[in-house]
Amino acid sequence: MEHHIVLRVVAKSFIPVILLFALYVQFHGDYGPGGGFQAGVIFGSGIILYALIFGLQTTKKVLPQSIIHHMTGIGVLLYAGIGVLSLIRGGNFLDYSVLGATPAAGQHIGIMLIELGVGVTVAFVMVSLFYSFAGYRQKDLDDPAAEDDDEQDSIEKSDQQ
Amino acid sequence: MTYIGLYNYWIVFLLMMTGLYVVIVSTNLIKKIIGLNIFQTSVFILYISIGKVAGGTAPILAEGYKIYSNPLPHVLILTAIVVGVATTALGLALIVRIHSEYGSVDEEKIYQNDPVD
Repeated sequence: MEHHIVLRVVAKSFIPVILLFALYVQFHGDYGPGGGFQAGVIFGSGIILYALIFGLQTTKKVLPQSIIHHMTGIGVLLYAGIGVLSLIRGGNFLDYSVLGATPAAGQHIGIMLIELGVGVTVAFVMVSLFYSFAGYRQKDLDDPAAEDDDEQDSIEKSDQQ
Repeated sequence: MTYIGLYNYWIVFLLMMTGLYVVIVSTNLIKKIIGLNIFQTSVFILYISIGKVAGGTAPILAEGYKIYSNPLPHVLILTAIVVGVATTALGLALIVRIHSEYGSVDEEKIYQNDPVD
């Protein structure tokens, strides 16, 4: 994608906006339409766009696979942790009312953190899926000379098929 | 008039039959997955249409709005969309595996290359 200067420039200016919009959808989900699922997918698609334009190897330097796997777990842990925390504080599982000083404040804190957990998991699962499919090599069918090629090559190859 | 008024159900019908046709007729496994996704989208639209209340707004507390659409089907479909992404990824992963085993994503060729038959 080195020669696609328009794509690179447009993507560079769009990716921060996409990620910012994902955060808006995430945290405005309290008061308006939005929430963790949508925000996670938007955030993930921003990262996937980066991977499509700048290549899988560059993206793996920005977001290593280990971080992605850990973040996927952390999201679920946050979700379950809020449930257990509300149990510890004397409520039912995922009963947000006991989390804050007043029930209303507790609901605010609870839904915010729960949606954050959902958003993190969805975003990084989307990226993880993309990594798995884009990074897949056909070792049996490709000739051995192609082994050393850039990952970008395999994405372009799968586009043509 | 009532037939035109219920146009989203016609769209559901059209999409559902399109998806079913693609699933049945296509021999390419990737196209089958696409057909399955089209079928799935029609079910999403069906449920969301059922949840709509005439004259209702989005189910968000605001001054001056008493009637709102039923949020339950929407939430159900939100989950279904996420599950749909997961099943699509699973299907594609299976197809990738089939392709590496048989060298094709076309059903006819897979049957030809199947050593069992």
